[in-house]
Amino acid sequence: MIPMLSITDTHADSPAHAVVTAIVNAIPSPELGWTGWILLLPAISVVLTGLCCALRVKSKLPGWITVLALAGSFALVLKLYFLRGDAGAPVVVHLWDWMNFSWGDQNKWHALQADVSLYVDSLTLFWLLFVTGLGTLIAIYATEYMEADVGKGYARFFNGVSIFILAMCTLVMADNLILLYLGWEGVGLASYLLVGYYYKKPSAVAAGKKAFIVNRVGDLGLAVGIWLIWVNYGTIEFNTLFQVWQDMERGVGGFDKSLIPYCLMLGAFGKSAQLPLYVWLPDAMEGPTPVSALIHAATMVTAGVYLIARTYPLFTLHPDALATVAWVGGLTALFSATIGMAQYDFKRVFAYSTISQLGYMFMGLGVGTTFGAAYHTLTHAFFKALLFLTAGAIMHGFAGQLDLRKLSGLRKVPGFKIVSWTMLIGCLWLSAFPYSAGMLSKDVILVQALGGKDHGFVWLGWIGLITAGMTAYYAFRVWFRVCAGPVFYMPGEETHDDHDTHDAHHDDHGAQIAHSAPAANSSHEFHPHAPRWAMNGVLIVIMLGAFATGIPGYMEMRGQSNWAQVMMAHSSAFAGSVQAHVTDAVNFGMNPHQLVELFGTIASLGGIAIAMYFHLLQRKSADKLRAWLLAHNSIRWIPVAMENKWYVDEFYHACIRGPAWIAGQILHFTDKHVVDGLMVNGIGRIPAALGRLFQPLYNGVLQGYATTMAGGAALVVAWVVYRWLTSGVGA
Amino acid sequence: MIQYLLLLLPIISALVIVLSSQRAAKWIALIGSTASLIVAAVFAVQFPHWTTGGFWPDLNTSPILGNFGVDLKIGVDSVSLMLVLLTVFLTPLAIAGSFSAITTRMREYYAWFMILEASMLLAFMSRDIIFFYVGYEFTLIPMFFLISIWGGPMRGPAAIKFFIFTFLGSVFTLTSVIFVAVRHFDSTGTWTFAIADLVKFSSTQLSAREQFWVFVGLMSGFAIKTPFFPTHAWLPLAHDQAPTGGSVVLAGILLKLGTYGVFRFALPMAPIGAVECSTFFAILGIIAILYMSLVCWVQTDIKKLIAYSSVSHMGFVVLGLFALNPIGLQGAVMYMVNHGLSTGALFLCIGMMYERYHTKDMEQLGGLVSKMPVWSFFMIIFTLSSVGLPGLNGFVGEFLCLMGAFVAEHDQPAGYPGVLGPWYAVVAAIGLILGAMYLLIMLGKIVWGSLREPHGQEHAQDHAQDHGQSHAQHAEIQLPTDLNFREIAILAPIALACLAIGLYPKPLLNAVEPCVKDALVNYPAVIDQYNAKRGLVNPGTPVKQAEAKP
Repeated sequence: MIPMLSITDTHADSPAHAVVTAIVNAIPSPELGWTGWILLLPAISVVLTGLCCALRVKSKLPGWITVLALAGSFALVLKLYFLRGDAGAPVVVHLWDWMNFSWGDQNKWHALQADVSLYVDSLTLFWLLFVTGLGTLIAIYATEYMEADVGKGYARFFNGVSIFILAMCTLVMADNLILLYLGWEGVGLASYLLVGYYYKKPSAVAAGKKAFIVNRVGDLGLAVGIWLIWVNYGTIEFNTLFQVWQDMERGVGGFDKSLIPYCLMLGAFGKSAQLPLYVWLPDAMEGPTPVSALIHAATMVTAGVYLIARTYPLFTLHPDALATVAWVGGLTALFSATIGMAQYDFKRVFAYSTISQLGYMFMGLGVGTTFGAAYHTLTHAFFKALLFLTAGAIMHGFAGQLDLRKLSGLRKVPGFKIVSWTMLIGCLWLSAFPYSAGMLSKDVILVQALGGKDHGFVWLGWIGLITAGMTAYYAFRVWFRVCAGPVFYMPGEETHDDHDTHDAHHDDHGAQIAHSAPAANSSHEFHPHAPRWAMNGVLIVIMLGAFATGIPGYMEMRGQSNWAQVMMAHSSAFAGSVQAHVTDAVNFGMNPHQLVELFGTIASLGGIAIAMYFHLLQRKSADKLRAWLLAHNSIRWIPVAMENKWYVDEFYHACIRGPAWIAGQILHFTDKHVVDGLMVNGIGRIPAALGRLFQPLYNGVLQGYATTMAGGAALVVAWVVYRWLTSGVGA
Repeated sequence: MIQYLLLLLPIISALVIVLSSQRAAKWIALIGSTASLIVAAVFAVQFPHWTTGGFWPDLNTSPILGNFGVDLKIGVDSVSLMLVLLTVFLTPLAIAGSFSAITTRMREYYAWFMILEASMLLAFMSRDIIFFYVGYEFTLIPMFFLISIWGGPMRGPAAIKFFIFTFLGSVFTLTSVIFVAVRHFDSTGTWTFAIADLVKFSSTQLSAREQFWVFVGLMSGFAIKTPFFPTHAWLPLAHDQAPTGGSVVLAGILLKLGTYGVFRFALPMAPIGAVECSTFFAILGIIAILYMSLVCWVQTDIKKLIAYSSVSHMGFVVLGLFALNPIGLQGAVMYMVNHGLSTGALFLCIGMMYERYHTKDMEQLGGLVSKMPVWSFFMIIFTLSSVGLPGLNGFVGEFLCLMGAFVAEHDQPAGYPGVLGPWYAVVAAIGLILGAMYLLIMLGKIVWGSLREPHGQEHAQDHAQDHGQSHAQHAEIQLPTDLNFREIAILAPIALACLAIGLYPKPLLNAVEPCVKDALVNYPAVIDQYNAKRGLVNPGTPVKQAEAKP
């Protein structure tokens, strides 16, 4: 039985008012209890890799345990998907009771119910498919990438990966907001542990800490959102929440329920690295590259997108909520693209591009196309994982070299052909090359934005188009520098001996030579370490996946319904019929579709062409341009600010961390000298002084207690007797 | 009779220890406290009221102090029993954790420890307020000796400060109790100190003014013990100077005596007073959370950091208690248990580190994961539990305390109106960020990073013989670089308990539920009246008395 979905679009012209009147009632499905294994398999892997860690297993065993567990989860997700199809009604699978208690029975506010239950609808499945699928592939890649650490951090690494997949699956399968919060913090924990994987590097430790703490700011928003939802709706379970959200007109005294979307938004912006909380993501690149690919590009950072898609109906509680999401997303996209254009570390370039692409996803959510946002999440997951994994392969091969000025022409270096060409595909997809999957998904969002009427969404569309041009430029700046041009490379100084993984392994292929003579910087003495089958194979599979992600986009272009859209439409992310209303807006005599097609192509090809000129054909001219910019005082702030990431970290440091730290010092001083010094020591001297009457020094103190005790007791007794006498009852 | 056995076992063990040899003392203590654990477990299994509320065993014995109604009544409800279980669970672990650290006057140490256990159990199990007070106060004496004999270099002042501070406050608590008993005698003509009778009398018969002063009197003792914000000054030094076992019991159990007192006596006895004071105390709780978090941030001594963090964490309990609704009280009780586990374990971890390096200074020491991976593993788990990571135990209490404060509004729909509100919770929740900040900074210094050891020290054992005035004259027990089996066996049960409570808190939540309802029975009406006086009328329950007043 598939329950009907009834839709009324009362204010369909404005996406913020897109209203779903009835979301399908979830069916409790104990017979789907086996879906619990999707969580249990990574959990088993956590335990087993933990044991490997404790027993100091000196083989790749933990890696393969993780791969098997994740592949098993993926297989179960596939089974679930084929069982239920694109448009299956949501089901709830109860696993066990968690934070669950009640104190009455009169109304629903008399209980707090947050169980470990799974809510599986098509939105969940959509996320699960790429989380477990890409998770498996990246785990395979990591078995080779991390091999230098076998017997040292290898098991710890895969332990972290297993924790991550466990938490991420919990996050997307949770049937209530508190369980979602568990997954939410769990992915934060995995991120903390894995970013700080190279724990001897102070920068890695700092980055892990920063990621966790900045995310906590967002988590605060999520927590307040959860409390507000409970106060207003009396439930935090998605199923009942969606049933009651529209009938309830209740607002609480202090906070209004229209704040709910803003609180949830704050959580989403923290986890998905949007303004103003994006600062942790670039630093998180300190982690091993498969982690960057898995957690900080493909899956975890899309949790914010998931959260908003999941609670999408609540975002209609305030008319400006979705517009805020859209504008924050759009501005983040633009802002981080400007930083991405000026970074020399190409892993950081990809990090900023991730922030930028996440900005597009939020723009999509905000302007009303959850399909566009989810679809862009999917295509982005593949092409960004691909880009990070190729970056990892290069790092792995060139002793951690990440400076795009120090590598060139890799496509001609033996063993790096697959890496170079898969990277090209990734860059093409990232720069929205015409008819690539990246372009198809981005266009859905931009068309929607340009077709919007309210909230300046048209401007947002133009910002998106400009950002697309910048994206094409910086993506190909990397590719033309690193993979094209004459063969030239300098090995990095790294990294392997920073985290005591040096030893025997690298003697085989000469990284040690590079280390012992970094000044030579010679490509003659250094032999790059080409990736082998696990890495290459995974790159090819993900590249094929990246091609496949284009399919829904083509179907969309041809006006057919496609599975991605159907899946969104049958979940809480369904945004009403906003899609239909995009074609009437006209700019320059063109409808949004034509606009995006024309200007998107111009932006993409133009960006690539400029990158080609500056970074392939006339590499010197790029330096000249930079020198010219720096020479003019009126404009030199532009490159300086961009290269220094607009000084946002410094700003936060000076305005938030600094004052708080100073406050801490002052309070500590106060505590020590005022509270403690005056109050306690002052009081403390009284009995000592009394004690001195009886006996000097140390023993006198004890006498003092006796005095106090006796005195206190005497006073009490006297008072009782007085009361007893005056009350007259005793007489 | 099992309840008396539970009380007597530690006392008997203490006597046996006194009569035994120095060498055997620690084993007798361990056996005695483990036996208490087993007896308590049997007791808990027999306990019939886990989810229904009520006290057991419900015995009527004759008053032992003649006409004054003082009566050695022993019985527990599920909240007391949870704290009893926490006590008997942590005590053997704290004793085992003292094995290698305590090398002088071992007989006395373990005897005092067992007496400490007995007095804590008496306080938690007594259903007579005088015997509660006896247990509550008597904890001071063993703790005083634990700190002043086996403590650090500043142990003298630390012990004195601890003793005087907590003792002074509890004089007022006793005064309040006696006042209520006298008033009870005034109006009924019989003396009683039974908790149930006094609570019933005080909450219904006393005037608002009397309740206010009773409440203030009760709180002045409990606030110092907990400790609430401005009265915490005894705690950092006491913790810093106490031996490991003392710190564990102090943070893990003794602090809970204060909040238990609030839960068991202050709130039920004086609802009107509690409601009038609740914003005041909630603000103190919030100040504690934020102020102490910032103070923690700048600590360089890891033990002081955890000590200050206890004050910050107890701020959450205070906030939960004064939310005066089931969510907040549930959270507060859960937090008491969970804080006992995770902070107790953190002090144990620090003790183990201290025994190896003889310093607690994070400037000198760091990057220990390279040398002590197992220790680091436990340290990370307990720190994350303290941070309140969901899935571990700390989260449950913390989230519920804050949620309780958030929903404690005059028009709260759950039938339990409150006098706090969203702003209290939102401001307090900044503590979530600050808590993560100082605890992760601590981890970053002590666990992660490259190895830093005190200057000129390769092996802790060598160091121990050079420095450490109080330790040098005794043959140090040789400890391996990383944790030995004994130490793992101490920490592993706590870690398992943390994980189990984090993943399946339901039994505990269900157990607390009826007690919370009992404690709050008078509150909805009182709060509605109080709010109506402030012009905030609860639409759910119109308050007639208040409307009638001009």
